Formats: sequence, C-alpha cells, structure tokens
Amino acid sequence: MTQRFNRRSLLRGLLGGSAVCLGLPALDIFMDGNGKAYADGAKLPVRFGTYFWGLGLTDTPTGGTRWVPTKHGHGFEITPELQSLAAVKEKVSVFSGFRVIGDGKPNIVHWSGHASILSGTAPVLTGSFDAPSFDTRIADAIGGSTRFKSLDLSPSGKVVNYSTRTGKAFATPETTPLALYTRLFGEGFQDPNAPNWKPDPNIMLRQSVLSAIGDQRLALMADVGRADQTKLDQYFTSLREMENQLSIQQQQPEKCESCVIPKRPDEPKRSASVDVVNANNKAMARLLAMGLACNQTRVFNSVHTPGSSETYIAGDSKIYHQYTHDEPTDAKLGYQPMSSKLAGMVMQGLGDFLGELDAIKEGDGTLLDNSLVLAFSDTGYAKIHSLENIPMILAGGAGGKHKSGQHIAAKGESVTRVSLTAQQLMGVPVGEFGSGAMKTSRPVSEVMA
Amino acid sequence: MSLAALAVVACTTALKNSTTPAGHAAAAAPTPGAFKTAIRRVTESQYRHSISDIFGSDIKINARFEPERREDGLLAIGSRQLSITTSGLEQYFALASSIADQALAEPRRAQTVGCAPADPKKADAACTRKFVARYGEQLFRRPLTEAEIAARVATAETGTAQSGDFYEGLQLALTSMVAAPEFLFRIETAEPDPAAPGQFRLDGYTKATRLAFLIWDSGPDAELLAAARSGAIHTDAGLKQQLDRLTASARLEDGAKAFFTDMLQLDQFESLNKDPLTYPKFSQAVADSAREETLKTIVHHLVTERGDYRDIFTTNETIINRPLAAVYQVPFNSNGEWTRHTFPESSERSGILTQVTFLSLFSHPGRSSPTKRGVKLHEIFMCQPTPDPPADVDFSKVQAIENGTVRERLIDHMINEGCATCHRVSDPAGLTLEHFDGLGQLRTLENGAKIDVAALIEGKQLAGAQGLGRMMHDNPRVPSCLVRNAYYYGVGRAVDDRDEDYLVAQTRAFAADGYKLPQLFTRLASSSEFYKVVKPAGVRPPASAAATPSAASGDAR
Repeated sequence: MTQRFNRRSLLRGLLGGSAVCLGLPALDIFMDGNGKAYADGAKLPVRFGTYFWGLGLTDTPTGGTRWVPTKHGHGFEITPELQSLAAVKEKVSVFSGFRVIGDGKPNIVHWSGHASILSGTAPVLTGSFDAPSFDTRIADAIGGSTRFKSLDLSPSGKVVNYSTRTGKAFATPETTPLALYTRLFGEGFQDPNAPNWKPDPNIMLRQSVLSAIGDQRLALMADVGRADQTKLDQYFTSLREMENQLSIQQQQPEKCESCVIPKRPDEPKRSASVDVVNANNKAMARLLAMGLACNQTRVFNSVHTPGSSETYIAGDSKIYHQYTHDEPTDAKLGYQPMSSKLAGMVMQGLGDFLGELDAIKEGDGTLLDNSLVLAFSDTGYAKIHSLENIPMILAGGAGGKHKSGQHIAAKGESVTRVSLTAQQLMGVPVGEFGSGAMKTSRPVSEVMA
Repeated sequence: MSLAALAVVACTTALKNSTTPAGHAAAAAPTPGAFKTAIRRVTESQYRHSISDIFGSDIKINARFEPERREDGLLAIGSRQLSITTSGLEQYFALASSIADQALAEPRRAQTVGCAPADPKKADAACTRKFVARYGEQLFRRPLTEAEIAARVATAETGTAQSGDFYEGLQLALTSMVAAPEFLFRIETAEPDPAAPGQFRLDGYTKATRLAFLIWDSGPDAELLAAARSGAIHTDAGLKQQLDRLTASARLEDGAKAFFTDMLQLDQFESLNKDPLTYPKFSQAVADSAREETLKTIVHHLVTERGDYRDIFTTNETIINRPLAAVYQVPFNSNGEWTRHTFPESSERSGILTQVTFLSLFSHPGRSSPTKRGVKLHEIFMCQPTPDPPADVDFSKVQAIENGTVRERLIDHMINEGCATCHRVSDPAGLTLEHFDGLGQLRTLENGAKIDVAALIEGKQLAGAQGLGRMMHDNPRVPSCLVRNAYYYGVGRAVDDRDEDYLVAQTRAFAADGYKLPQLFTRLASSSEFYKVVKPAGVRPPASAAATPSAASGDAR
C-alpha cells in the first residue's frame, strides 16, 4: 500500500504552509522556472479564467461592424456592443480579425470556433474536442496549491462547460449561485482568517479512503484499450486532485486580507431569459471573486450562454439565436437591430463579471489586476456562422504582465495566437500551441509586458 | 500523525492481511488471458437502483451527478466516452460517504453488517473481511480480488485505530467501494472461451451485468451473481432461466423506464426552459409530471398490458395528474395523485407525440418549432438523424415574417436549396403538430391566422396529429428503429455493418410476435450477438491466452 505524494505535497512539507495569502508565490510557477517575476516573494497570486458567450457579435453584410473599434492600439474607442466594457476599458485588450482555419475540416456550427480557441485544433465532430482545452494546462501549472484546481460555472443553468482534459468528458459546472456558494463556502471550507485554526481529524480518514481506491490503479489499468485508459486516467487524475485538496486542508490556510465570507444566496430562479441569466451571472461572479480572494481556486471557466444559445428577452417568443439568422438587416441602420441589441445585453454579462473582479481590492490594485480572463465566443457574425473575426478579449492585468487597454486588429490570423498569448502571460512554459494551419509559436507580443 | 506515519501503518496492516486471509471471504483470482472490452460510466438511474437494491430503498441519494452524453441517439452509447471530473468525484465521494453513513446507522447497522466485532471499539479483521467481500461483490458486480479486499480492510483498521470505533472503520471501507471506479464504471471483461480455443467470450459476471442493467436498470442480484459464479449463465438453459425470471419480475418496469428515458431523450427535461410570460402554466411541477406521464403511459402499455409498441403513437389513453390536467384543459376528478384519462377525438391527441413531453421538449422557450419536432421525430423514432445545418447557407434570403403562421415562415427554408434537403423532411411532420403550442396546449390560431395542419409525407396526405400518429403506427422504420435502439442500449455500442442482418432478423421476429417489448428484450439477450466480444484498440495481447493473431485483432463469438 502506498500513500501517494506529489511534488506539491512534498514541497508543502518542506516549505511549510505558514506564509500569508498575499505573500506566497504560486509554488508551481516558482518551480517551473518562471520565478523571476515572483522572486521578490511579495507578489500576489495571479488567477486565470475563461469566459464564453454564445453567438458572437454583429457584423454587417457591407463589411461594417457593431463591435470592432476603428482605432488600433491604445486609446481605442468603445463601440456599441462593447459598451459594457467602458468601465474597465483600460484593463482589457480587444482582438479583432482573428479566425479559425479549418484545414478542410467542416465548419461545425456553434462548435468549431470555441473548440479551436481552447484546444488549438479544429474539431472533426460536434460535442468533442480533438485535444485538451488549454485552461487545463494553466490549471496544472498554477492550480495545485488551492483547494480547487479550477471552478466551472454556467449561469444560464445549462449543464455546459468547455473545459476538458480528454476532449470527450467536459467539466461539470455549477449552474446556480447557490450551488457555487455551497461548493466554495459550504462543507470543507476553512476560513483563512479564523483565529483558532485546528486541522480536521476526519481529513486523514478521508485520505485513507482515497488510498484504498488508488491502490487498485495498476490492476485496473492492466489489459484495457487505449480509449478506456484515457477515461481511467481522468478518474485517477481527479482522485489525485482530491488527495491534493485534502492535504491542503490539513495545512493552516494562509491569511487573506480581502477574504470576506459572503452571504448564502437565495434559491435559484430558472429561466433562459437574458435578464435572469445576467442576474445569475453577476451573482456567481461575485461569489467566484470572493472564492478567488479567499484563495479557494486560481482557475475558472464560465459559460455565460452556450454556443447555440436559447437566451431571449422575456416575453419575446423569438430567441436570440433565431434573430441572428433570420432578422433582416435594417436598410437604414445597416445592421440587424434586434440581434445587435441582444448582443449588447449578452455582453453586459462580461462587463458585470469583470466589474465584480475589479470590485475587490488587493494590495495596491484589484483582483482583476491580478487576474487574466480570456473572453470569447463561438462565432464571428452569427447570421452566417462565420469563423472569421471571432471576438476575443483579454481582461485583467495578469499581475502586471498584460499591457492592456489596446485593440489588436489582425485580419486572417489564427485565433490560437491569442490562446498562446494567454498561456504565456500566465507563465505556462509553452512555446507553441495548436495544430495544422492553426499551429503557432507567435503570441501577440504587443500585449505582453 | 503525519501522512507518512499513516501510510506505514496502512502498509503493515495490508501486508499482514494478505498473508493471513480469513477463511470465509473467498477472493477472486484474476483469469489468465482476460482483458477489458469496454468501460462505461453508470448512469444516474443505474446508480440509484443499485444503491437501493444493495442497501435499501430508503437510502437518500442527494447529489448532483455528472452530465451524460448522447451519441448515436443514446446516452448508453455516449457513456463509453465519459469519465469523472474533479468536481464530479467530489460529489460521488460525498455521496458515497453519506450512503455508507446511512447503511451503517442504527437501527439497520446489525442487519447491514451481518457479523459483530469482538469489541466494538477495536478492529476485527474477520468481520471486516466478510463485510468487504459481501458488499464489494454487489457493488463491483463481481467478487473482489485479494488485493481489493486487503486495501479496504487496511482502511477500516486505520479508521478504527484513529476513532476507537469499529463501525467508523467499516464506514470508510464502504465509502471507498462506493466511490471506486469499479462501482462507478461498468467494466466489461472478456476471457478465453474454453469451448473455442483462441477465441474470447464475455465473462459470466459481465453477462450477468448486461442482463441486469438491460432488464432491471440495476446491478446483478444474488441469483445472477450465483449463475455467473457457477458458469450456468454460459449455458442456454441457465441463461433462459435468468431471462425468464428477470422479465417476469415487476422490475422490468424500471428497465423499460430507463430505456425509454434514454431513447426519448427525457434527460433534456433537466434543462428545459419556458418563458413564464408566454407560458404561465409551465413550472417545474409540469415538467416533472410530463416526464412521468410519458413513462407511465409506456410502462402501462408495453409492460403491464404487454401491448403492441406501435399503438403508443395512436392511443388516446393517458395517465395525468393535476398540473397536467390544467395544461390539457381537462377536469381532474380523482382523489389519487394520478388518474387514467381518455382524450376525446376533438382533443386531437394521438399517442406520445401529442403529450406535453414531446411537444414542449422540442420547442423554443416562447414558441413551438415544427422543425425541432420534425427533426426529433425522425431521429428518435425512425433512427434518421438530420445533419447539422450547413454553415455557409446564404441566410440573406431567410428573412423573418412576424405575422401569420409558422408555415409561411418556413417556406423560405423550403425554397432555399441549401436548407430544403433537410427541411423538406423535417418540417411537414412538425407542421402536423402545430395545433399544439410550445407547451403542448391545444390551439387553432397563430397570430390570429388559422393554422393549417395538413402535410404531404412520403407521398401521403396527412391531416394533423392524428394522421401523423397513424402514419407512425404503420411506418416499418418505427419498429426497426426500436429494435436497433434496444440492442445498442444493451450492448452500449453503435452500428457495425455486421449487425445489419442480425437486426433485420430481430425486427422480423419483433413483428411476428406482435411488437411486444418484453419478448424483444428476451430475444436480444438470448442471442450470441448480444455478448459479442469486440477487442478494443490498444489492449495488450493477453500473455497466457492461446490467441491467434486474427482472433486477437477481430471479433470472437
């Protein structure tokens, strides 16, 4: 019988768990050779998240757009569909013109776009990615020292998330504020600022339960096919993460200045209408922000509305998805007015989400300054399922590494360049990302400090 | 105590136990040459039924299960792709612990454990072994190996040593089995076939498990496990005996419900949204009731009455409760929760396609959708999936008309060649259901215009939902699709050209028999195809099997 130790638990054993939240560098980053930026030992942890919304933003048949700023670089103007970002404009970079290059693979509608951004590979089938989503790499690099390696949210209430290690099994998201609250602050939560911390003796017992399961790993993995092996690997990865969680809970938590335990939210309201989704999104963003401030996780993935989103304006019998396809372009305005209105409402979700991260003070700045969020959609101009000009936004300072406040226009460039940029800003030791025509080793250096 | 010290204690105990196994709990030895043919995650209902069978139906199971995945029309096929994510394992672990707590709580403790420790404050290896071997076999659907038993005995001893409570130790051992991959996944195993050298067969426990999940939606019971242990399940007589027993049981209802929940995609109720302003009568209670109505109708008709499958498309009989009566706009005159109801001709209702389930699931939040309904009708009942819409359709011609009925709006799709290929198939069937709105309520007008429910389908002129129901009743693709789905559901695998002749023969037998579901299950599960071994890619050749290269790379029957 073996008690598995990973590098992290050994390190914790060596280094102790006594440092404060605000003073401890992320150990994995430290050990991954990116210690330079963190060498002073006084840096705040940097968090990473993805934020997805469905149905893109509005272009016009004549080549115009409702969202791409005309000015490039710093000082870009806020366009109608980016209105919700006005308050955090200097903390975001907007990427336009980037596209999915399918290498002859079909455009799987409402799927190829985000699958390519996250996995670097245009998928062959709907519902699957052909490579892991890159947020899992970042979670492997920075998520090991917190209770949750990552947290996944879906405020529309749909059980949808695009984070995956296998390309087949996707993360199970929390779908209501109450569920997220319970996961973060319910059983197993240890208040980092509680005065009389004592280790919970039950944790060690739970560890022995996990050991008994883990002991059978080799026997179970013998004589299985490749596909089954992947599934079992995922199970045992989850088991190791749980073991890691438990060993973290045995350490006295680091004090976290900004951590204030929030109130339990009410029972959820269930509806796909955009006002309800946005309200859930905002409530969940607030809880998540506190979860980050309380050092419960450093990585998150949120899906505001899924790829072929069924969100709608309450009382209107037609859903946003239908408007994007069959609403005529208004001759006078030059765009689809209802689609564009709905796009703005959906983007309010992103503005609210970033606003919640920006509302928490940390050190000299805010939680958003110590985070990096990659926000993106499944499509460019939704009317034609375009894989060109897919809107992508990097938000947050990434602990000073992100030169934000810019508009980067790069017509025809692969979306994977932005994905690679996000990984490098987070200090993941990765030189290239993607496959086929989307393989790239060129991050968008303009936004990297 | 540090982690390292705990590990040392546990190691010592495991070693001690593995050298002195207690007599009565026989451990399984691995079969030489065996390999794992498939691993499928158990579904939520399989999990619930298994726990209820093993520990009692009053055990509370309160957790969020991992989402399932539909492939080739079925979750049963998609389950082969699924694993357990970190957040999922947290849930399964907490649930396992809660189940173990309940199973070992007073007053059922003595009954659950079945033996008593010499001293309830101390470890008792013999009683623990017996307990672990007994519940391990039920949970893992096969006897445990010595290593599997020893690991749990060690866990129990650690727990007892720390807590000073024998039962605390058992609780941990049980938790580790309920949260284990051997329970959470169905691990199917093949072994060298003694009757056909060089070939493989599914082992007895795998066969027993397939039967139990197909017919009862649960793990194998003691009799099935005994038939696997003795090898009786490998004989025609032994197999028949088990099949007769399983299909004669009232628990066939659970199996039928689980199968139709999967086939009819009733899991989609989990995320069904309706706009409360448009459909004020919709609520979670209506959604839950609708799902129950459909399942009750099917079980009553196909299991209780042993009826003809095709009649579920034409029957005007249903079973409703109070929330549904409001949606159907009929009086509810019963003291019970549910009551049988016969729709009059004027209601236009005809079988399960006109129940709230089908009508509301395959609509938008605020309006009906003939396209969605038509697509799902073909996909679910005729095994004719519609391809994804082409990405490069010129939508500039598709412009919304916001007055009149949906029929006029869909004409755009019909005249646009890129769209028409599929919409000409899906939309006519959907249009016949247009007298039912997005919740399933009867109506005759849309935007003040009279709704036309006539359609031309495969050269036949149909009128409305009742015409559609009769068309479905008489369409030979409908029963053949059911046979196909039942087979795939049971074996957890999709089509293979080699299955075609088999499925044709099974469909013929289904028809000859009057389209009866229990007989279908029995015929499928008594055929050798149902137990066909498919060797997965990448499995190492079994070291001690006398397998020829051709047998190892292909099928063995």
